[in-house]
Amino acid sequence: MSEIVHIAELTNLEKGRSLTQDAFLRLRKNKMAMFGLYFLLFLILVALLTPWIAPYSYEEQNLELGASPPSARHWMGTDILGRDQLTRIMYGSRISLMVGFIATAVALTIGVLWGAIAGFFGGRTDAIMMRIVDALYALPFTIFIILLTVVFGSSMLLLFLAIGAVEWLTMARIVRGQVLSIKKQEFIEAAISMGLPPSRIIAHHLIPNVLGPVIVYTTLTIPSVILLESFLSFLGLGIQPPASSWGSLISGGVEVMEEYPWLLAFPGVVLTITLFSLNFLGDGLRDALDPKSSRD
Amino acid sequence: MLLFIIKRILQAIPVLLLVATATFFMVRAAPGGPFDKDRSIPPEVITQLNKRYHLDDPLWKQYVDYMGNLLQGDFGPSFKYASHSVTELIAAGFPATLELSLYAILFALLVGLPAGMLAAVKWNTSLDYVPMSVAMIGICMPTFVLGPILLLVFGIWFGWLPVAGWGQVPGDKILPSITLGSVYAAYIARISRGGMLEVLSQDYIRTAKAKGLSTARIVFVHALRGGITPVISFLGPALAGLLAGSFVVESIFNIPGLGRFYVTAAFNRDYTMILGCTIFFAFLIILFNLLADIIQVWLNPKLRQELEARG
Amino acid sequence: MTFIFFIHKLVKIGFLIACLFCVLSCERKTLVDIGTDKQILYFGNGTDITGIDPHGTNGMPEQRVIKAVFEGLVAKDPKTLEIIPAVSDRWEVSEDNMTYVFHIRENARWSNGDPVTAHDFVNSWLRGMMPGLANETVTSLFVFKNAEKFYLKEVTDVSQVGFKALDDHHLKVELENPTPYFLQLLDYLALFPVHTESMKKFGAVDDPANPWSKVGNFVGNGAFTVKDWVPGRSFVVEKNPYYWDKDVVRLNEIHFMPIDQLLVEERMFKARHLHRTEWMPYSKIPAYRDRKDPEYNHYPYLSTYFYVFNVTKPPFDDVRVRKALAYAVDRETLVHSVTKGVQSATGALTPPNTLGYTSRAQMTFDPDLARQLLAEAGYPDGKNFPHVELTFNSSEDHRKIGEAIQQMWKKHLHIDVKLKNQEWKVFLHEIKNLNHNIARMGWVGDYIDPNTFLGLFTSLSGDNRTGWKNKQYDALLNKAATIADKQERYEVFQQAETLLLDNAPFIPLYNYTTNNLVSTQLKGYHQNILDYYSYKHIYLEAEKPSE
Repeated sequence: MSEIVHIAELTNLEKGRSLTQDAFLRLRKNKMAMFGLYFLLFLILVALLTPWIAPYSYEEQNLELGASPPSARHWMGTDILGRDQLTRIMYGSRISLMVGFIATAVALTIGVLWGAIAGFFGGRTDAIMMRIVDALYALPFTIFIILLTVVFGSSMLLLFLAIGAVEWLTMARIVRGQVLSIKKQEFIEAAISMGLPPSRIIAHHLIPNVLGPVIVYTTLTIPSVILLESFLSFLGLGIQPPASSWGSLISGGVEVMEEYPWLLAFPGVVLTITLFSLNFLGDGLRDALDPKSSRD
Repeated sequence: MLLFIIKRILQAIPVLLLVATATFFMVRAAPGGPFDKDRSIPPEVITQLNKRYHLDDPLWKQYVDYMGNLLQGDFGPSFKYASHSVTELIAAGFPATLELSLYAILFALLVGLPAGMLAAVKWNTSLDYVPMSVAMIGICMPTFVLGPILLLVFGIWFGWLPVAGWGQVPGDKILPSITLGSVYAAYIARISRGGMLEVLSQDYIRTAKAKGLSTARIVFVHALRGGITPVISFLGPALAGLLAGSFVVESIFNIPGLGRFYVTAAFNRDYTMILGCTIFFAFLIILFNLLADIIQVWLNPKLRQELEARG
Repeated sequence: MTFIFFIHKLVKIGFLIACLFCVLSCERKTLVDIGTDKQILYFGNGTDITGIDPHGTNGMPEQRVIKAVFEGLVAKDPKTLEIIPAVSDRWEVSEDNMTYVFHIRENARWSNGDPVTAHDFVNSWLRGMMPGLANETVTSLFVFKNAEKFYLKEVTDVSQVGFKALDDHHLKVELENPTPYFLQLLDYLALFPVHTESMKKFGAVDDPANPWSKVGNFVGNGAFTVKDWVPGRSFVVEKNPYYWDKDVVRLNEIHFMPIDQLLVEERMFKARHLHRTEWMPYSKIPAYRDRKDPEYNHYPYLSTYFYVFNVTKPPFDDVRVRKALAYAVDRETLVHSVTKGVQSATGALTPPNTLGYTSRAQMTFDPDLARQLLAEAGYPDGKNFPHVELTFNSSEDHRKIGEAIQQMWKKHLHIDVKLKNQEWKVFLHEIKNLNHNIARMGWVGDYIDPNTFLGLFTSLSGDNRTGWKNKQYDALLNKAATIADKQERYEVFQQAETLLLDNAPFIPLYNYTTNNLVSTQLKGYHQNILDYYSYKHIYLEAEKPSE
């Protein structure tokens, strides 16, 4: 039975357009995924419009007020320096979403290509490529980041690269594992025997078929990247105070969760909803792209 | 099979050398040395310190000396703990880290597997959604948030469990193991659910169902194997990740583990200690990945045949 | 069916385990309870200590342990900080304050039973100057006549160095200058005696890797001696049975616990794992203070928090710009709102009333003057002010202070100063090489005397991170060193500090306060401005049941 599906898929891929259309139709039927999509679009919209719609300035302090719980004037309360938390979360979303998406995209690109190539060619290529991944896994991350900031300064671009450089390793492993498991399947062997060039096989047959786990892992990577950003800014890479990001708001909030719980709760809830949205969308996309996995 | 293992072990040697070399030059390039402190040390003393640790030699000579010692299994003295060698410090810190990681993975398996199986069996019902949503939160909740929350609730409000230490007071190993294990419990739940769903949709399970076998029998005899296989291949990298990632938990719970030593060494620029820990962790990562690969090959007859054919 | 049954079983087992915990935890004794019962002090000690060689370290956590296992010629009274006899029971001082003769106590013993002699001090101090040891606190030995020259090999004859054992129990000491704080120094790292005889058993005396300080090898002369040391876990000392004043010592053991995070330490105290914390995070203070918690302890600390300018680069090569920024800082608001009122704002470098000295000159908050100075310097209303950065090492507290001051400058001077946090070692590296514009610094006095603060900004000071060098200032401090009369000396310090504030290479912000948590079971514990402990007087006593 699975053979038939694969052959069907193979023919489908040749006519990429109808597949995309099919997938989109399936996605639209998935309510949870659509909720996720709409929420993310809403977030992006808010992030883009923040400078015009934010109720306060992100650096404007009110030292007399200090930390105050949510009120009519400050819906999400204020932090210890009396800054409006809603504003800081809004400005934070600009940085965090950008970091989350761009750094993950970097990781995704490198990781998927690396893993697919290693898995497809196997043998010596695979061994060398995967041992490089092993070696990079082991390097001391903290020192690496410190070095980056010192050599290249503290730009946002570097932040994306630094995070991407770390996160792609796991991605490569996952993709390689998946590729290995489907490599021996008939439709790939068929493609090889048809004499298609490896680049085409990888791009058109291997990668589309490992997208499921990749999408799931990607939706899990984005939040961890958002949180990683706060550690990097501790090391001096990325945003500098008084700018805010979700990661820095949450790690700051943890320190005072007993005294001022709203400083952890609001950014935490926003991040969690974002995560769920991403995940619903991710699951929806996987099911939509891979009809096999959407059962009954 | 044996050949495969030997090959992989031989491959590990250049990887370790590469890691050692890259780390050696990275730590030297990082600004600030082991003797930069908030109170300056007189220049004459700095000269003496550099002489003592051979930091005044040309870098290539330091590198050659270090690698020479390394090949003899000598990590050198710690720059920070003057009277301790790096090997002694690793020996002091590693048992706690290893124990913590093992308990964490045990917790992850005990919670993650049943949850994932339950979700797969009750696919698309509330018994699927609830554990999977909890798992999502578990994955998303970083240890630096989860740890303090658990501490606050169980350690301070209820006062049930100790909030710090390792093996000093009974029960002090519980919260750190849960904190470190929960992310992996969540991953395992998701992975085992996926694996089992895959198996449950296969023809032979349908046949078994059609034959009227009980759900329990199907789950435990047939589907379990399918659910556990991806989990096992996840365990190798997970254990390596646990070891390296235990630092956050170690510092939240004040556990005298190697993760904490490692990060402190990086902040202190304790050159030999950073190198020693890096190489040690690299070795563990390679070892666990190798174990995971061996198990994966073992469980996958196709791959095994291929390996044996290649010889 | 069976599967569901299995899950039920699992839930049941889980529930049983949970119940077990409840039962266990009700009976659970905390470390503090156990410790108080057995006279074991659990002591939060900050970062992990890296060694206990008095000639091998200068960190605060190390010093706190070293003071338990070694004792100098004299000690300080924990209440008044006055000098009291220790290994030496009496001493004579010459008319010119340059020569001392110390009588070593007959019953002073090392922890292996050997008597402590004058020769031990001579050998220790000579060891402290051995180049191979690379002693970080060697400069404190330069108080002795010719010691610095000896260290730099300008003098090779040991007999010319200003300390000599007259016999086993008499030690003669000659100083380089009439140093009024000399006796205070005797209670400091490099001047403690070490047992060089036993070191020789394990290796060279000047080898820092010599394992003499490890458990089993260690010989000291303090009220306590080493019992157990696991890096990262704890450093345990126990009562020294040979200590000359052992009848006074009531604690059986002290466990120095390394805790590198303030939040963790506070939690450990709350869960009764510690009798005393080293510090506490600012954010936790208001709650403790508001409920008047008897365990919350705060006391002035001999230290100052300030910002330094890099005067070698524009715009801060212009004293008017430096002063403008300094006058635009509202210190009172800063300490009230940001540091939660636990620190005291200061307009000078030396903390007020440092052994009777308070700076006459004070930096004030004067935004009008600040704006005027900035305009005079060519930046009216902050126009065209160049891009400058305020650098600090990453920390929640430094960040909040930086953000608040950034806003004050913006508000009063209309200038935009960028904030830049850096990892600690990078930060140290940058300020050492004068790569900063403005940087955060703090200074803790080693002894109670204005010299420990004012000496910071001399041309030769290794900790002067400003690039500011002033011959007149150096001359004033050199002059002060030679004066024996207190009032006359303080007058010179007044002139120096006035000159310093007039040049404004730094912005004084506040004096630190010791903020920590101390169990009410801890008795004989006194707070003082040096955060100095006399462990031998401390003991533990459980509260009496209230009924």
